[in-house]
Amino acid sequence: MANEYFVRMGDGERISMTKEQIIADLQEGSADAADLGDIPELSGDELDKLADIIMDSNRIVSVEPGMEIPVTHDIGSIRIDGDQGNSGVGIPASRLVGCMMHERGFGADTMELGHIDYSFKPVKPVIAQECQTMESCQQNMTVPLLYGAMPNLGLYYTPDGPFENPGDLMKAFKINEARESIEHAGDHATRDITWIMQHLQKVGCDGVNFDTIGAAGDGDVYASLYAMKALREEFPNIYIEAGMAGECTLGMHGELEFEGNVLAGLWPHEQVPLAEEAGANMFGPVCNTNTSKSSAWNLARSVTFTKAAVEASNIPCHVDMGMGVGGIPMFETPPIDAVTRASKAMVEIAGVDGI
Amino acid sequence: MCFFYSSTIELFKEVVTTTKEELYKELSDAIVSCKKDQVLAAVEKARGELEAPDIIENGLAAGMNEVGTLFERGKLFLPHVMMAAEAMQAGVDELKDDMPESSNKAASVIVNGTVEGDVHDIGKAIVSTMLQTSGFEVYDIGRDAPVADFIAKIKETNANMVGISALMTTTLPGQKEVIEALEEEGLRDKVKVMVGGAPATNAWANKIGADCYAENATEAVNKAKELLL
Ligand code: B12
Repeated sequence: MANEYFVRMGDGERISMTKEQIIADLQEGSADAADLGDIPELSGDELDKLADIIMDSNRIVSVEPGMEIPVTHDIGSIRIDGDQGNSGVGIPASRLVGCMMHERGFGADTMELGHIDYSFKPVKPVIAQECQTMESCQQNMTVPLLYGAMPNLGLYYTPDGPFENPGDLMKAFKINEARESIEHAGDHATRDITWIMQHLQKVGCDGVNFDTIGAAGDGDVYASLYAMKALREEFPNIYIEAGMAGECTLGMHGELEFEGNVLAGLWPHEQVPLAEEAGANMFGPVCNTNTSKSSAWNLARSVTFTKAAVEASNIPCHVDMGMGVGGIPMFETPPIDAVTRASKAMVEIAGVDGI
Repeated sequence: MCFFYSSTIELFKEVVTTTKEELYKELSDAIVSCKKDQVLAAVEKARGELEAPDIIENGLAAGMNEVGTLFERGKLFLPHVMMAAEAMQAGVDELKDDMPESSNKAASVIVNGTVEGDVHDIGKAIVSTMLQTSGFEVYDIGRDAPVADFIAKIKETNANMVGISALMTTTLPGQKEVIEALEEEGLRDKVKVMVGGAPATNAWANKIGADCYAENATEAVNKAKELLL
């Protein structure tokens, strides 16, 4: 098997492929992104470079000197203390300790404080605790410390919230009612996120990370963009990170707009200008991993989408890299060979500003 | 002469639009337009020319497939899918009396749910909606559903198929548990099993003894049709 290379499937399984098979998958993956997003495919040189990265004989690869990039961090310190299938390692540590570990032990260039539920809505009743923890973290840390959570519009629908579930309404053909429910939820989420950040700003918080924008579809994007706009107006210096949930904005409503732009069906390169307009300082594009395809196919597809987003953006793009996104397999502890290859490709081919 | 010439063209056009393929396309386009009036008009026009099952299968259902594809590509959105489905239903109702007796068989019943411990239900709900809009009788038992709930609903509705969703690698084994419970209850031979959700794969479906895996809602509809119709 001298001319076969170890690669991964999208679910992390180890397989071997020939160079020709790898190149065919790279071409196919890039073409798939180009077709869906109506964006350019990777060039022949770029595909060759991607093939070299994938076929590198080393288990771990890295960027060329001078190409180092900053790493921002999401999901708060849940990576340390979380134990719910979210790649947390279940070490009981305070959030201050968790944040400081990321700053001083793991080399995170920005960090964020997050709540165990990691959605904005449940932060409201514990805002005093969040403010106090933010303050003590700020007093002990140097890197920019943001507050991070998911807009998670799902929490505003029954059974978790006041508005009827648009999915159920839709199934009963109550399309207008479903749309109204999404609009109400969106407005509530905008109001809640703004309120939460107003409090955190008072204790010296450096900014906010909107994590997994669009998880509940276009309503989620609507809520997030208007919250960003309100925060930017009120706090001209607040640092705003906008990280997406998926590659395409799901059209649950279909007609919601931000400043005249329809939000449903947007791909990363179409999402970033809106985040920028809303006042974000940084954008986190996402591309989903297909578990039934090889890492070559997935990575070429992710790099194609991400490159187009980077080119369309005037703000730094820190691509979302983790289990099941950015060409990385969908696996709780993503294999390091795949993670480092995908990261190198994002920096050297997609041209991302950070991860 | 001139008049004669143009009316010949009109005549020619008329002949062309009433060919079978053109009628299929008109029906299908009407569904993609998501407009009930347009669908009913197309059905009315096709009625004299085509058999009712042909209108439904090659015209309306083909349009619905197209809607599914456009949805997966981010070109049409959930409300459009629902409007198209509603329009399709109106078209099918219109044709009810023209249907041969034998085709009035009961719709296949599918129970859909997300396994216990997993609260992700957006994708599964879309799958339920698309199955429903394709004519299946769907019972969606929601998310975080214990194995016992799957079994109870399957028994209650006399289901022919169960769709099991899991969105996390940690909850994926829940799909296997439902299959094992079906075996224990002696229901496995009666109920087809379809699995899905981002971490599931064909290989996984084979490993746990499911009947099929589908990557997205459109594929789920096609696989369900293959297995049930
Ligand atoms: C939205 C979302 C949420 C929402 C869910 C809201 C809701 N009501 O569903 C919220 C915020 C609640 C959430 C919570 C959590 N989440 Co989450 N979530 C996502 C996210 C961003 C998108 C999922 C989604 O809806 N996609 C859109 C739909 C349309 O696609 P889909 O679900 O894949 O469905 C399609 C196909 O898979 C298929 N399909 C789906 N079901 C079925 C069923 C059948 C029968 C068939 C045939 C086909 C089929 O068809 C669908 C349509 O095409 C994903 C990441 C991602 N980008 O995928 C993470 C993700 C799934 N979540 C993840 C995690 C870890 C969590 C949490 C544990 C986080 C936490 N610490 O609290 C909790 C889960 C708690 C629990 N016990 O379940 C991880 C899972 C990792 C893993 N171990 O596998 C992911 C991958 C994110 C990540 N990379 O970390 N999440």
